[in-house]
Amino acid sequence: MTKMKLGDYIINVNNICKTFPNGVKALCNFTTNIRRAEVVVVIGPSGSGKSTFLRCLNGLEEIDSGEIIFDGIPLDHHKENRLKIRREMGMVFQSFNLFPHMTVLENVMLAQQLVRKSSKTVAKSVSMELLEKVGIQDKIDSYPGQLSGGQQQRVAIARALAMKPKVMLFDEATSALDPEMIGEVLDVMKTLANEGMTMICVTHELGFAQEVSDWVIFMDEGKIIEGGTAEHFFSDPKEERTKHFLSQIL
Amino acid sequence: MNVVSPDMKLCSKVPEKNFFVMSKIPIKDIIAYTLVMGGIIFIILRGASEQGYFWQWFQVPKYLFTLEDGTFTLGPLLQGLKVTLNITWIAMILTYTIGLITALLRLSDSIVGRLFARVYLETARNTPLIVQLFFIYFVVAPVLGIDRLFSAIIALSLFEGAYASEIYRSGIVSLPKGQWEASHSLGLSRFDTYRKIILPQAVRRVLPPLTSQTISLIKDSSLVSVIAVYEMTMQANAIVAETFLSFEIYFTIAAIYLVITISLSQVIALLERRFKVNN
Repeated sequence: MTKMKLGDYIINVNNICKTFPNGVKALCNFTTNIRRAEVVVVIGPSGSGKSTFLRCLNGLEEIDSGEIIFDGIPLDHHKENRLKIRREMGMVFQSFNLFPHMTVLENVMLAQQLVRKSSKTVAKSVSMELLEKVGIQDKIDSYPGQLSGGQQQRVAIARALAMKPKVMLFDEATSALDPEMIGEVLDVMKTLANEGMTMICVTHELGFAQEVSDWVIFMDEGKIIEGGTAEHFFSDPKEERTKHFLSQIL
Repeated sequence: MNVVSPDMKLCSKVPEKNFFVMSKIPIKDIIAYTLVMGGIIFIILRGASEQGYFWQWFQVPKYLFTLEDGTFTLGPLLQGLKVTLNITWIAMILTYTIGLITALLRLSDSIVGRLFARVYLETARNTPLIVQLFFIYFVVAPVLGIDRLFSAIIALSLFEGAYASEIYRSGIVSLPKGQWEASHSLGLSRFDTYRKIILPQAVRRVLPPLTSQTISLIKDSSLVSVIAVYEMTMQANAIVAETFLSFEIYFTIAAIYLVITISLSQVIALLERRFKVNN
């Protein structure tokens, strides 16, 4: 597989902790660094804090302590920094979260016009290009409710890409899909990975992890139990808990 | 899709056949309706005759309008209707605005904003409209130098706005959290998120209860007669005091209110169908 070389660090996560108001410790002294063009796959049992980690990265969840630095910008209480970071990070959700009152095309155009201040013509041509890339070009005037789950998720990916983000976050992007639709979404994600997009994916698709990831993180109880390249991780896990988890789902 | 589906082709041929389907009369429904209405009318007529009421319906038209030498003059009731409609549409716009602002304040991060909205809401909702009308007319109006009609409009809007704000708020919080998150993840500001994502969806959801509230507003506008604003109910009271045609006049204005409120709910129902979101 031809892949672009990994670059310098784009995200630094230092010692972050996050406890939910109900007392659940979601993240505990969590540290990791992510390079440009790196594809990181995060796996782990449910409730292990994978999604919380992803949601902390773009400030959807507030961290209690520690620091997150994205491309030199600290994610702190300054609204400006937060918005700046969110503009550079695309996010794809498990439940798609498309805007149901807008057509597919409007969904993809919206942020370009409002946030990037692109003209309507530019936004439209960028959107058409992306929708073609994800294979939805003949549904641009449909509403999300008229599409299948797989199609909706591909639109959601196009919507995130329209902001020309430096990093893409995938939060269990295929978990809510019918089995026959998982492939079409994974294909789009693989294409992105091969194009050199920096990606952090929370997923249960171990095949995907093996095929495209540069680094696999196994989490449990809010901590990184083990991290490694896909090759090492799957063939030769060190930790007992990792072995147990893999034996359960493989 | 521009492709004509087989179903659509079928539809265009059907009318002749469809005629019989359409003309199938729902006999049971009609009988039931006739019985119910007949029963109600019987009770009313019976009640009136027991009381020895002397019906004078022929007296009513001149209070609606007069036609003399080809000139059409509005009678007191329809003049009152004009005032009622005037009060209603201004109060309606103010109600929606006040309601929306209050709902947004209650959902904001600002403690002062939330407190202010809460105090207003509880005061307006938990005291009688008639007291608020008197308060605004006798206490606030002289200070601000506003007239009777405007006091009535303000009092109505503040009262109904409190209910409207709860309706808006319920619509906003009923939207899935994912809509906020998707919008935030795209870097949209809070203002843009409300403007483009949240409110367009919330308003569609709350159209039915908002319609009920507007109908309440129209009916509640009859209460402003207590501060002698000559709207329809006030005019009716005046005519009744003079002529003792209580049933005829009150039934007439009830019918007029009914016509206005039913047309309004029909218009909104049309809007609702138009903006229906396919979730």
